Amino acid sequence: MKWRLISCFLLCAFLLIAGGAGCGGSTPTTTDSPNSGASSSEEETSSKDGMPGEEGEEVAEEEPEMLLEPFDAPPLEEIDAKVKWVDQRVIDPIELLAKQLEKEPPLTDVETALQLKNNFPPNKENNDKILSALGRLPKSDQEVDYDATIVRHVGGDAKSTNPLMISSVTEFDVVGLMGIEIYGFDWNMDPLANSDYVVSWQTSEDGMYDKLVLRDDIYWSDGKKFTAQDVMFSFQVIMDPESRVPAVKQGTDKIRWVQAYDDQTVVYFHRESTPVNVWNINFPVIPKHVYEETIKEDPTMRLSDAHAKLESNPICGGAYKLVKHDRGQEIVLERREDFYMVDGKQVRRKPYFKTIRFRIIEDPNTAMLALKTGSIEEMAITADLWTTQANDDKFYEKNTKVTATEWVSFHICWNTKSPFFSDKRVRQAMSYAFDHQEMIDKLFSGLYEPAAGPFHPTSWMSPKPMPEPYQQDLDKAEELLDEAGWVDSDFDGIRDKEINGKRVRFEFSVTCPPSPIMERVARLLKRSLSKIGVACNIKLVEFTALQQMNLDGQFEATLGGWGTSTDPYSSENIFATGEGRNYGRYSNPEIDKLFDQGQKEFDREKRAEIYGEIHKILYEDQVYTWLFYRNSFYGFNKKLRGYRFSPRGPYNYSPGFNSIWAAQP
Amino acid sequence: MAALSFVVFLSLVALTAPMIVGTRPIVCKYKGEIYFPATYYYWRILGLNTQAYKTEAVFTNDKFRGVYPGNLKKNDPDSWAIWPLVYQDPYRPIEADEWPGQPESPSGIEGAPNKYNLLGTNDDGVDVFAQMVHATQISLLVGFVSMGIAALIGVIVGALAGFYGGWIDVILSRVIEVVMCLPTLILILAVRSILDDITIWHLMVLIGATGWTGIARLTRAEFMKIREIEYVSAARSLGAGQMRLMFVHILRNALAPILVPISFGIASAILTEGALSFLGFGAPPPNPSWGTLLSEGRTRIQTMWWLVVYPGMAIFSTVLAYNLIGEGVQEATDPRTRETS
Repeated sequence: MKWRLISCFLLCAFLLIAGGAGCGGSTPTTTDSPNSGASSSEEETSSKDGMPGEEGEEVAEEEPEMLLEPFDAPPLEEIDAKVKWVDQRVIDPIELLAKQLEKEPPLTDVETALQLKNNFPPNKENNDKILSALGRLPKSDQEVDYDATIVRHVGGDAKSTNPLMISSVTEFDVVGLMGIEIYGFDWNMDPLANSDYVVSWQTSEDGMYDKLVLRDDIYWSDGKKFTAQDVMFSFQVIMDPESRVPAVKQGTDKIRWVQAYDDQTVVYFHRESTPVNVWNINFPVIPKHVYEETIKEDPTMRLSDAHAKLESNPICGGAYKLVKHDRGQEIVLERREDFYMVDGKQVRRKPYFKTIRFRIIEDPNTAMLALKTGSIEEMAITADLWTTQANDDKFYEKNTKVTATEWVSFHICWNTKSPFFSDKRVRQAMSYAFDHQEMIDKLFSGLYEPAAGPFHPTSWMSPKPMPEPYQQDLDKAEELLDEAGWVDSDFDGIRDKEINGKRVRFEFSVTCPPSPIMERVARLLKRSLSKIGVACNIKLVEFTALQQMNLDGQFEATLGGWGTSTDPYSSENIFATGEGRNYGRYSNPEIDKLFDQGQKEFDREKRAEIYGEIHKILYEDQVYTWLFYRNSFYGFNKKLRGYRFSPRGPYNYSPGFNSIWAAQP
Repeated sequence: MAALSFVVFLSLVALTAPMIVGTRPIVCKYKGEIYFPATYYYWRILGLNTQAYKTEAVFTNDKFRGVYPGNLKKNDPDSWAIWPLVYQDPYRPIEADEWPGQPESPSGIEGAPNKYNLLGTNDDGVDVFAQMVHATQISLLVGFVSMGIAALIGVIVGALAGFYGGWIDVILSRVIEVVMCLPTLILILAVRSILDDITIWHLMVLIGATGWTGIARLTRAEFMKIREIEYVSAARSLGAGQMRLMFVHILRNALAPILVPISFGIASAILTEGALSFLGFGAPPPNPSWGTLLSEGRTRIQTMWWLVVYPGMAIFSTVLAYNLIGEGVQEATDPRTRETS
């Protein structure tokens, strides 16, 4: 039970494959809920590399029915009297970005940057120049083409346009733009409330309450006012076991209650005081006046006629509204003039695009051709296309490309309960035996960076200094194996050891999802290990079966990856004793203790120390052999400006997509 | 005739693959003993990894780490070795100066055919020529073993049905029809998902176990025809047993037309194996297979043509050759075609 709860903001599913890593067609399908999206979420980036038709969706497990117990919210005055409120950050994300950009003078001017060719790898200089010169906000409104249309690429269709029902990456992209995003987080993964919707946001000193005051000039696209009642109603719908909300429920279900005291004031009651409460309160909202009646007939929000109509014509509260949804073809959003103009007065920033078209193209090669001809204007480029197709003159004619760090790491997970890998020395030997250099240079043509531990070196929770990534050292590996008692005593070319009176040969299987890139890593592992007398067999297992095997701990070694979370607290689910996603059954009381401490500590500095310590211990123990970080690779049309990358890519943060604009032609 | 000699040529290549291209000596003398490290490749292809590791045990323990040329002399100055014609490996890229003067294998788009990599290299830098040569073993193995199984089942079922007739025939014919309806590829995919460790042998058995229907039908028809001929009655009246009648007297005369679907079957088994590998459901990696090479080339068709062209040609010509042989046999055994020609 416990791990399910934690997976709330953990959604940290196994990365099926390096979406971008791959040779070949990869369409990343990320499961993501807005609250986990905003929260510490670890994303599942599964992609269809070589596995057509596979939906890498993390379908929520059959949750035990958990009814929301009724709760008598105390009057606001009582709470106000009882607790001491601490102000939280309420800010316009674009302004935040503007301030940040002031501190980062452009490395070159726009014209030069547009002519530059991104020669990474090996040179990152041009990449930095392009990002810094084009990742700017407009100096004045004259620069912006407010009538522009942007054509975005998505790898799959949106199943639902209901903000509560989102679970795939496309849905998150599309619905996110139509929805009211009260909370967000910036490129440093620091939480914020959006001043477009929020007047003030306060947290009680003991961390048990959050108080939110909403603006009173927010209107749904049907002209009705958005109020605090909508927030409370949405919470109740999410928690209703009959609604079967897939991804959004995770995290939200840690809140005890949400109470609207009037049309503007909402108080969130938490079950316990943790540093991650701030992520839990971030859930999407639906209009109460629309759904209140329809939901009585059809609590699933999927079946009735009224809900079918709402699917094709949703009532939106955000900057854009849905105007067209051609299944499997395209999704068109249009700017809501009544979003920023209220009673003839401009009360919010005018969104930069008039129209946003999402074109659904599954095959990355086809998408690349579309990008070259200009029929789509941005796309995530897979690593193999980056150095080939995205490198010719035809590409640069209309586009430019950039790369940035993304906190997604890949690893080999060792089952510490197997007779082979229970010994730390053996795991270290495996890491020494693996040819890391060849993987980075040959398999990924230098596009990815070697990984060294659970937290990304640019994140606040990583230890300073970071441990050195492992390098292949076969002598050391053999030494460690000899020490651990694995020697070839019967001269059959494979090391063996007597365990409980039985001679065990060092021959194990590594399970691997059927994706070309993971397969190549597995082949490299096999080759490296055969050099030191260890037999490794590669077992290709289809994704869903693989996940089950991982959960059951039925493997000896398995290849996978995690998206790094915004809050390291969620890693408890992966490394602490007995946790659900602790696939390798690793157990270390010291780690458990440190995670407990990290959960209770509120001071960022001290938390960083705790998690740094965890990082060091895990790395010393080589619970995993950490392999590489997968970065973001994007192509943008030359008319686009204002993109910036967060550790979760260019869109899924604040301001994210909202800061992107089109220059006047 | 050309087709036949091509198949003979392929068989020769398959049998001698580790001697044509490899990184392990065919024969070597090391510390006073004679070793045949190249047999490693045969075991690997056959999926007998334990045996493969065993052939290398001495060298693994002496920390050769899969590289022989320098290490042999280093550990034993008196050693000698006979090497394959080309120093390349179907399982790994070559590192710089492993073999005196030979550079590191290029990878990716730099791996175009060159002096050292006759047919180029793949994404990992593994030599395509080496993989192609070693893959002939897989192709022929799949072709012969799976059709061997199919022929065995087909002939027996067909013989029983044709010889006995009556209700045995009715039942067996329905069985044949049911098996005919099974889509081979989908069946193999299903079995793959059930079995844990699939090897090339599983594939061969599956292809064989679903591919015997044509043979069975032909055998049945031949048996029905031949059992009415007088010599069979003569044999019967002389007291020959049923088994003897079936497999000694009738089968011999029925065999010629049965050869036709067998040789077509070999071609289609090779194609099936290629298709499976292409889809990523072939033998577990790393297996040098024409289909695997093709599927690697599929995503790189615009930049790495050599990954598609050579294995494509190999599959094409092999399948063509078997089909031509099949047709040849058909022409030779079918009196009607002989008359018209």
